[in-house]
Amino acid sequence: MFNLIRRDVILQKRMLLTYIPFILFFIFMDKHPALIFLVVSIFIPFNTYFYDEKAETNILLNSLPYTRKEIIASRYLGAIIYMGLSVVITSIALFVFNKPFTVTDLAIGSGLFLLFAAVTFPLFYIFKSRHISSVVMISFLILAAVGPHIVSFLAKHLTTITDFIARLSIPALYTGAAVIIVILYAASWGVTTVIYQRKAF
Amino acid sequence: MENVVDLKDVTKNLKGFSVNNMNLQVKQGFITGFIGENGAGKSTTIKMIMNLLKPDAGEVKLFGLDYTTHEKEIKERIGFVYDDNVFFEGLNLKDIKRIVGPAYKQWDDTLFYQYVEKFELPLNKAIKTFSKGMQMKASLAIALSHHAELIIMDEPTAGLDPIFKRELLDLLQELMIDGSRTIFFSTHITTDLDRIADYIAFIQNGQLVFNQSIHDIAENYALVKGGMELLDRDTEKAFIHIHPAPTGFVALTENIKAVKNIFGDAVVIERASLEEIMFYMKGRKSYV
Repeated sequence: MFNLIRRDVILQKRMLLTYIPFILFFIFMDKHPALIFLVVSIFIPFNTYFYDEKAETNILLNSLPYTRKEIIASRYLGAIIYMGLSVVITSIALFVFNKPFTVTDLAIGSGLFLLFAAVTFPLFYIFKSRHISSVVMISFLILAAVGPHIVSFLAKHLTTITDFIARLSIPALYTGAAVIIVILYAASWGVTTVIYQRKAF
Repeated sequence: MENVVDLKDVTKNLKGFSVNNMNLQVKQGFITGFIGENGAGKSTTIKMIMNLLKPDAGEVKLFGLDYTTHEKEIKERIGFVYDDNVFFEGLNLKDIKRIVGPAYKQWDDTLFYQYVEKFELPLNKAIKTFSKGMQMKASLAIALSHHAELIIMDEPTAGLDPIFKRELLDLLQELMIDGSRTIFFSTHITTDLDRIADYIAFIQNGQLVFNQSIHDIAENYALVKGGMELLDRDTEKAFIHIHPAPTGFVALTENIKAVKNIFGDAVVIERASLEEIMFYMKGRKSYV
């Protein structure tokens, strides 16, 4: 199954060359480190779906000695592994260019990535459209652009929620968020596995 | 004799099309040709054999094993070649080998490079630049490089030029020399099979019409020609389908002995090609 995860790099090796300038661009634009971590993590796992939404790819993978469970597991584990690698590379880049960042930025970026992956991964298997990956990527960009404004808008107007969050201690807040994200990610994994096992190619 | 593929009462309903109660056995050590018109259910059957589709009812077993419990063990032992290129078309053969090879425990790099050389395949050119024949060779090289016991091919000869088609058929025959290998391949071009197949499985409208050795087919099926005056309600029963013509009839029978008993020397009996069998079967009214 490790081979299935490694496959993504072989498929995208040319694409990966654009990866570094991409990170540098964000760094020089002085974007928030958390946003950089998030964007960079998304790169490899979501690119894979550009390949995998083709029926032929699924015929190939399912004709090889893999179970459908393993194919999905390689997606979810692969996302975590590639997120880890991206985070390391980005941290080094930020460090080299002397841009300060905190572990909190890293945690927020990774957390948001996992949340986004948990919500969108099943969509790739529910919808047949060849354009689902474009739709997901565009909605991601819109979210990334508009999201922070919405959050601050909500924060101003839904004071009960902000008060509640403000009352939580920082460790409790982070632990809570982490637990919720892990549960969502696991649930998403389970749902996608069930969907994929029922598919016909 | 052991069956490598064993379908028992397999039924699958798809939109506007179905495979009904199919019982199909593929015998170990032989080449079985799977024939039928376009849309008869060949690809659907192959997909069920590959576990890409799950049957609505019935049982699919390969090497005596079930997919629910032995999926990986089964697929380790199968080499597949599909009609369309299923490999990532932007990649070159070397990268495809890097992806596919490690999937198999028994992958043999040396063997792979032998086939690449034999088929004169470029390693560093993207698959999408390959001609149809080269794509087929590339699929075949990959299918043959993990010591598969069963080679499954869906329409491998479609779209190939005649010379390469011959080469492919020769190669398939060569592969059979070691005796333990089994080849199952579908085609709608029956002339491919006359030369190399040991068994013929014939599917029509989602139903298996027969699965017999080439030898049995030649012994049982024949074209019968004779004058129209020979036909009446009783004698017609000896035929699967009768094609009447002003000068006489041509009919397909699956029981040469019975025809000889009924008509004696009054009719001419000729060997029926697979194509003729398929053609006359299509016209038959009912088949018991």
